[in-house]
Amino acid sequence: MSNMTRWLDVEVGTDDIDLNTLPQNLALLDLHNDNEFKLLIGDFGRGEDGPKLKVFKGAMQISDTVLPDLPLGVVGFYISETVPRSVPIVAVAYSSCVYMYRNLKLFYKYYLPSIELSMCEMEVWKQLTNPINHNSDAIKPLIDSLKAIPHETLTQQSQDILTLTPEQRLEYLENNAELPNKNNAEIVCINTLKMHSVDKYSVSCLVIATEDGDVILLEPQTFSQLCQAKICGVKKTPYQMITTGLYSVDYRITIATREKSVCVLKRDWPEGRILFNTDDHIIAIEVITADSSVMVICADHSMACYSKKGKKQWCLTLEHRPVAMTLVPVLHLGVTLTGVALASGHVHLYDGKARRDTVFVRDVVSVMKFGQLGQEEHVLIIITGAGNLMLKILKRTADFSAHAAGVEMSPSALTGQKPWLIPKKSKLFLEQSVRERENAALMHKTFQHELNRLRLLAATTLLEAHKKSDNSVGIGPMESMRLTAEVEGLGPVFRVTLIIENKSKDKAVIGLSILFHVHTVNYKVSNPYIKVPLLSPGGKLKFPTKIEEVFDDNISPDVLFRPVTGQGGERSLIKVLLLKEGKKTPVLAATVQMPPTDPMMLPFDKMQAIAGIEEKEDPNWTNKA
Amino acid sequence: MGLLDKLSVWLGRGRAEVTVLVLGLDNSGKSTLLHALRPADARAPAPHHAAPTVGQQQEHFTSGGVSFSAWDVSGAPRHRALWERHYRRAHAVIFVVDSADHLRLVVAREELELLLAHPDMFGRRVPLLVFANKHDAPHALAPMQVAAALGLERITDKPWHICASCALSGAGLADGVAWLARQIRDAHLPHPHT
Repeated sequence: MSNMTRWLDVEVGTDDIDLNTLPQNLALLDLHNDNEFKLLIGDFGRGEDGPKLKVFKGAMQISDTVLPDLPLGVVGFYISETVPRSVPIVAVAYSSCVYMYRNLKLFYKYYLPSIELSMCEMEVWKQLTNPINHNSDAIKPLIDSLKAIPHETLTQQSQDILTLTPEQRLEYLENNAELPNKNNAEIVCINTLKMHSVDKYSVSCLVIATEDGDVILLEPQTFSQLCQAKICGVKKTPYQMITTGLYSVDYRITIATREKSVCVLKRDWPEGRILFNTDDHIIAIEVITADSSVMVICADHSMACYSKKGKKQWCLTLEHRPVAMTLVPVLHLGVTLTGVALASGHVHLYDGKARRDTVFVRDVVSVMKFGQLGQEEHVLIIITGAGNLMLKILKRTADFSAHAAGVEMSPSALTGQKPWLIPKKSKLFLEQSVRERENAALMHKTFQHELNRLRLLAATTLLEAHKKSDNSVGIGPMESMRLTAEVEGLGPVFRVTLIIENKSKDKAVIGLSILFHVHTVNYKVSNPYIKVPLLSPGGKLKFPTKIEEVFDDNISPDVLFRPVTGQGGERSLIKVLLLKEGKKTPVLAATVQMPPTDPMMLPFDKMQAIAGIEEKEDPNWTNKA
Repeated sequence: MGLLDKLSVWLGRGRAEVTVLVLGLDNSGKSTLLHALRPADARAPAPHHAAPTVGQQQEHFTSGGVSFSAWDVSGAPRHRALWERHYRRAHAVIFVVDSADHLRLVVAREELELLLAHPDMFGRRVPLLVFANKHDAPHALAPMQVAAALGLERITDKPWHICASCALSGAGLADGVAWLARQIRDAHLPHPHT
């Protein structure tokens, strides 16, 4: 099976498709609301061709829209849940604004909030730009007041002037005497986050990450700011952002940064925190929806998986430099694979850390995405470095189980990397091990001593049992005899069935008899002495006997509570002896614990007697009886 | 071949129905196509958007003196595994392809190859009629291009025929079904001695 490909190649006319894009600029969207998913590509263009938004239906390009600037991200989302469904909105991010398109027509422009200058900074600059202040004495107090303002809130221009020497400052002010401009933040990536439902067509809000490390969520109806948060306490520049969860319930925004770290931002957090740091620059991250674990590929050829708490779970070294990554969820098989494209032109599919499939694409992948295209749910879209578009459809019969993939885990790899679950050594354990090491000889001696005592005790008990003929197992030639007893009935008359068995394969037994050893005060046995006929090898005989519990006249009321309190103690024991002709001691002895007689089955007159004792004050009761 | 034989064949064949399987990917137009094949009096006004078939439906129609009982089987990916249940009793197969869906021609080819390689189909002389449906749609492929894309020329153990069709208007359907009826008649009726 392993040599059979799991993918069907779609022929794409390569002559007029020349794509130059980034992973963020790909979106799969039901653009015309006809259940035909289209591929939207924000193309940078090559040479004199400007950036364009290209729409592909299957492998065929159906439209081409000129974009005003280089696209930084293309996403599609729904802004209302009307029935019938409205067309989705396409959002394209440019340097500091997001354009929303409906039916590929621009209908809204969102600009990032510009950062207002602080009043005192503005005041200082008004005086600085005034030519009468252009001497070193006048500048000094002004510069000092600039220094008093927190450095991060200053504009670039103020930050620049602080780094200059006093002479340079004068020169600077004389040359360009103008007020600092408003600062505009730059967008680095955008994404969407579902608002209330995980449904494919549910309303989503836009999530925008800026160069300064801010994450802004936009309200889907009005495109006003829902909330804003920093991705991290220290300055980090986001680079790739993945959203999971729902805005109204709980969400996680996982952000890869250019500073070799991955941050996480959750609902109601004013500031995100660093989830983990990597050794080398991050190329791409993906978040597995099932357990929120994060897959990372790095420039040092490593592919690692981190838990949602940021703990490294495993790490693989790839044969070549990874260039792109995408999740490949195959719902009907119940697996989510991770596709990793390598610089060698291979695309590997991993299930966890086990490689399940390899596709060779003859060219270096630049962008890779998996999802629904047209009516086909499982399409792998690959844009190669040369600008070609490749479409691969997953076969319906594809199977990614370990067996079908022909994966053989070498035992060394299996044991060498998998961490064993060993609990931490407790203090108690350490102390104990020290004690054991110090007193090994003494401990051994004590143990042997105890063992010998135990053996002696067992031997004396056995001897005692033989002396008292209390042994339930025969000895010598009678070893093959077995005696068992079954007690049936509620009382006071019980049926005790004795079963004598000859386990021997070749010897018959003759001259056996059974004797009941009972205290006559407590029990009456109908047939206390039974002669056992010849017992053939392997034979089995049953002797049912009636045993009646005897109650004397002044019966104790305790008998009523015996089923509750337990057994009747010593008095309910019956001894059965198996005798052999010509032997002075019994062959076997069995002790039977008789069950207590059910109080309801007690003879009526005895019951009355007990009741009479108990209810003396109630003469009516006796009269009636 | 006596007169009595011919008579019995005539009588028997008149009543017996030929089971034909209608297969194809989802949204290729199987149900609409069968709807168009139904006799005009039994036909409800054609719905413009047919709901996807779940499981299977049975339709009856006659053409060229042959009475067909057509099984319209769902083409949704998760129902395609059920196709093989019907192979054994099929006397003919109608395979419907959306000739405007370039992307999924490879999927149709894959499904057709699976069908032809199935033990219940392999080696049986079951006529295969391929409808290159939706030929009026923009960017639709010509029937010969569809035949090439499906690799029909490699089929050697079955008679096959491809024709362009439009299930909504009914164009091209009669030709295809007439071919199928001819094939069935030739296979089941003895050739008259010359």
